[in-house]
Amino acid sequence: MAVRNYIPETLEEALELRRDEHAIPLAGGTDIMVQHREGIGIAPDVGKPVMIISNLAELKGIRRRDDGFVEIRALETPASIASSDIVPWHVRQAAARMGAIALRNMATIGGNIGNASPKGDLPQPLILLDAEVVVASVGSERRMLLDEFILGSKKTALRDDEIITSVLIPEKEFTHLFYRKIGTRRANAISKLSLSAAAVIRDGIIEDFRASSGAAGPKVIRSREAESLLTKRQVSEIPDIADDFIAAWDRAISPHAMPRYRRNTTSRMLLHFLEALQDETLTGIIG
Amino acid sequence: MRDKVVFHVNGERVEFIGNPMTRLIDVLRDDLGLTGVKEGCGEGECGACSVIKDGKLVTSCIMPVGSADGSEILTIEGIRDTPKGICITEAFRDGGAVQCGFCIPGMVMAAYALLEENHHPTEEDIRMAISGNICRCTGYDLIVKSVQLAAERGGRLWQ
Ligand SMILES: Cc1cc2nc3c(=O)[nH]c(=O)nc-3n(C[C@H](O)[C@H](O)[C@H](O)COP(=O)(O)OP(=O)(O)OC[C@H]3O[C@@H](n4cnc5c(N)ncnc54)[C@H](O)[C@@H]3O)c2cc1C
Ligand code: FES
Ligand code: FES
Repeated sequence: MAVRNYIPETLEEALELRRDEHAIPLAGGTDIMVQHREGIGIAPDVGKPVMIISNLAELKGIRRRDDGFVEIRALETPASIASSDIVPWHVRQAAARMGAIALRNMATIGGNIGNASPKGDLPQPLILLDAEVVVASVGSERRMLLDEFILGSKKTALRDDEIITSVLIPEKEFTHLFYRKIGTRRANAISKLSLSAAAVIRDGIIEDFRASSGAAGPKVIRSREAESLLTKRQVSEIPDIADDFIAAWDRAISPHAMPRYRRNTTSRMLLHFLEALQDETLTGIIG
Repeated sequence: MRDKVVFHVNGERVEFIGNPMTRLIDVLRDDLGLTGVKEGCGEGECGACSVIKDGKLVTSCIMPVGSADGSEILTIEGIRDTPKGICITEAFRDGGAVQCGFCIPGMVMAAYALLEENHHPTEEDIRMAISGNICRCTGYDLIVKSVQLAAERGGRLWQ
């Protein structure tokens, strides 16, 4: 082993290691340990110093802040996120469907974002909700929209002296919510495709409409252009707008593998949600 | 900065000095001789290497030993002779859950983690709880029945 690996005991130590050695943070390790697997009896070698931050208490916790955001610290796991009653619904749905139980106990939200895989399950609902990430370096902090932090497949705006410390989700009430992950049957298989949608309908007016697609392009896709076709319009106008909306969404996504299947399935799910919006007897979670 | 990893395995204090990226499974099997922990896929997909860390099921093939610092790890060897462990292993035997046996230590750990949290699991709960554990032999039905049997027989044990 050529490089040294570390176990910092405080966030401050971790940030100093990040500044001085650009050590790679290992949170749950469920991506790093697999990507750098060497085989039985051999420690994975990342080729750079690694710092194991799994047990930093400062990076744990889920809480409702008094400025209208729910804060999830970077080391929280899909298991704890899925079972928290203060985490917004779409994010809990995605967390509950990641991997199998052991994976949900080990993986972290910070690692899911840091890995920036187009197949990662958490960015999709987080971007739907306009979530922000907070990244820290020695003596400073930056905060930005997750949609801007994730630059593309496996690329983020994280600098080599920074650590993701938390995710902030604005609290918002929706009248209609939808989440679907289409995967293979195997519990530990990751998404083939996922879609979230949400709307606020009041007095027959679509006050808010949004959707986000996962695993349908190099990063999570939200189309403000498509969304703007529906927002502030009357529910009764949906039948006239639906085709243009679906076409705009179809232009926004760029699925890599199985493009026909992914496009058709996405369109069908969006149409299903639009139909539910027109049915006055349906509100809340759309199945 | 930690210069060693200190944790408990089956109640015994373990000090590990060395590369903290060493896989937990290698420390358990090679350094501590706990060979009930099996390596199947080595990638977190099959559950053969499942152990319980601070009450939660984890796969030890993709966990660096450094992440286990300060934790309590339970392996099949640590539960085998306890009343709860005996309850599960006897239910597996009587329920015909075991064929080649390779997946069984991981299955037992998954069942143990489930029953500790949920004393009256439904069939669906059990299938979810073992969904990360692959068995090539049994087709799962007898394993699911055996976990049900352990829940029924154990009764108060799990409360
Ligand atoms: C069997 C199996 C099944 C899986 N199933 C799914 C699934 O269903 N859905 C899904 O989305 N993913 C899945 N994954 C992938 C993986 O578990 C997730 O991406 C997970 O969220 C990664 O988190 P981690 O903490 O384990 O990552 P790590 O491996 O610790 O880190 C991943 C990356 O993020 C960086 N990083 C981690 N924490 C921070 C931080 N705080 N600040 C800055 N950078 C950081 C690391 O340096 C690394 O580049 C699966 C993986 C396995 C092995
Ligand atoms: S050997 Fe660890 S999950 Fe397969
Ligand atoms: S009994 Fe053979 S793998 Fe399960």
